[in-house]
Amino acid sequence: MHCQFLSKAQISSKLLSFQGRIQDSKVFVFGIEITEITNNIPNVNNKMFADITLESVTFKSNWKKERSLASSGCQTSELVVEEVACQSVKYKSVKTQTEDDSDKFSGFADDNSGHLFEFLRRVEPAMHKQLEMNVKSHAFDDYEVTWDEGSSTMSSIHKLTNAAHDGQFQITGLSWNSTGAVIAASYGRFDHEDWCTHKTSLCTWNLERRNLDENKPDTVLEVSSCLMCTAFHPSNPALIAGGTYNGVVIVWDLSREDDMVLTSSGIGDDSHREPVSKVIWVPDTSSVKKNKYLLVSVSSDGKMLVWKMDRKTKQIELHDGFVLMNMNLPTQLRKSRTMRGDKEVGVTCISYNNENKDSFIIGSEPGAVFKCSMSANGEQPAGNIISSIQLKSPVTFTYAHHYGPVYSAEFSPFHRNAFLTSSMDQTLRLYSMLQKQPIMTLEPGEGVIYSTKWSFSRPALFAATTDTGLLLLYDLTQNQPVPVYKLEAGGLMGNNARAPVLTCQFNQHQNNLIATGDAMGCIQVFRISDSLKTPLSRDLEILGDLVDITTES
Amino acid sequence: MAEVEETFKRIQAHKGVIGVIVVNSEGIPIRSTLDNSTTVQYAGLISQLAAKARSTVRDIDPGNDLTFLRIRSKKHEIMVAPENEYLLIVIQNPDAV
Repeated sequence: MHCQFLSKAQISSKLLSFQGRIQDSKVFVFGIEITEITNNIPNVNNKMFADITLESVTFKSNWKKERSLASSGCQTSELVVEEVACQSVKYKSVKTQTEDDSDKFSGFADDNSGHLFEFLRRVEPAMHKQLEMNVKSHAFDDYEVTWDEGSSTMSSIHKLTNAAHDGQFQITGLSWNSTGAVIAASYGRFDHEDWCTHKTSLCTWNLERRNLDENKPDTVLEVSSCLMCTAFHPSNPALIAGGTYNGVVIVWDLSREDDMVLTSSGIGDDSHREPVSKVIWVPDTSSVKKNKYLLVSVSSDGKMLVWKMDRKTKQIELHDGFVLMNMNLPTQLRKSRTMRGDKEVGVTCISYNNENKDSFIIGSEPGAVFKCSMSANGEQPAGNIISSIQLKSPVTFTYAHHYGPVYSAEFSPFHRNAFLTSSMDQTLRLYSMLQKQPIMTLEPGEGVIYSTKWSFSRPALFAATTDTGLLLLYDLTQNQPVPVYKLEAGGLMGNNARAPVLTCQFNQHQNNLIATGDAMGCIQVFRISDSLKTPLSRDLEILGDLVDITTES
Repeated sequence: MAEVEETFKRIQAHKGVIGVIVVNSEGIPIRSTLDNSTTVQYAGLISQLAAKARSTVRDIDPGNDLTFLRIRSKKHEIMVAPENEYLLIVIQNPDAV
């Protein structure tokens, strides 16, 4: 903005007064010029219209103050300016581009030369001959190539305990999570006399961590009673379910910060009244979405409850239910004629068919094994059960029974009809779903067989855990029904005996790992040799032969 | 064309056959009983391997030539019948029940 103040002396005679008003950047100058004052003189003789210039007159305004002016200057202190330049010397330019895969397949080539048929005619006999030879050939029968060096020995790679429990609890259930890196163990006791007043926990260890502390679990979830079983969710590595001695089914979410209990079935008419023996996640066949799972829990009160997790509230609600009653039992197992048909029978284990998720098998406390179906609609007598959902009888077929409680039942992941059961009568049985009598009964002579599991990688391999503290590995391709390996899995107890091994679980992702849990609260993770983990080419065929051959007779 | 289809059917009906592919001299599949992505994979890889096998045989003895190629793997066996213009690839699982 530019101001210029002029003193009066500079004003020319033409200007009358200078009135400066500064408004924004404009300067208004007003001047009055008095040019002519004509006198109206009637005398017209001499100069009538003459030009007269009069002196300008100035007068001060009486209401405006006159501004006093002063001139001054200002300047900032000297600014320090520095100039710096930098320049990179090396250049690197990298580009990436994904390949457009869709371009690669531009469709089959058209062949119009007409020689195709000639060619096929020439080649077909040779091909047929080779195909025939292949099917009949025994050239490669026992020929196996191992590319990886792998381990050829079995070794125990981890021994996990929870030091806080101090050995007073037994491992009641083991579960590997959906990625195969974390193992969870549920602690509890099987020898309660009345109410359970124990305070146990669900512990998880992440075996992939470098600083794994074998005596201190990564996560400890406190539970106010004994936990009898546990199962990780098949696809979500953070969800884990457990069943307690009081009949409560709890689902935890390990991704939460503080209270990890996501939902619980509570103690009510709809939930179990007796210890929950097994929880298992089953794909929801009725839902359109692919990854939906239902939680099924079975218990000593005879009920098999199907829980559905509500997507929004994340609570589990009773969706469907079945109950096993005395009238389902085969006649040999009903102790007396006068036994009421409407009394519930405890269910100890459950397993779902690998191919058909609608059918499942259950093992019961008296020793009976049943084939059941999720869509079964058998009527059950009302009995003493109060439940919001009508509890049906799921039984569609009864198999030859064991002589003691069936501790474990497992369908084979490879063959749709084969399943194993193990029981307190010290036997291990291989059944075909289509036949009442078992195909094979194994009696290892090692006491009660607490659990049995199929391997996830080899169709012919399965494991069994015994009362004498051993982990037995059976291979069905061997001619003799003896275990190929006996691993000492139970911890040493005081009287030089081994603690019974109550549960075992193969790792679905890392095929060479199997975990066992014993009665002293110790978990051992074994690495099995490569010969046992890689499937032989004839495994499935041999298993099929065993299971299917008897149905022809 | 019907004869070609019939031949294909006959081979496919053989015990244990998983798939049949016919590839032309450039390695592009002409006919196949498998899905597109698998076909393209087999066609490209096997035709390269067959060409290498053929050159190996002829390098060792120029008077010789490749008549049949069989690759046995853990899970199945791939049989290749090579010719001037075409290549017939058959994948069979010999242990199939």
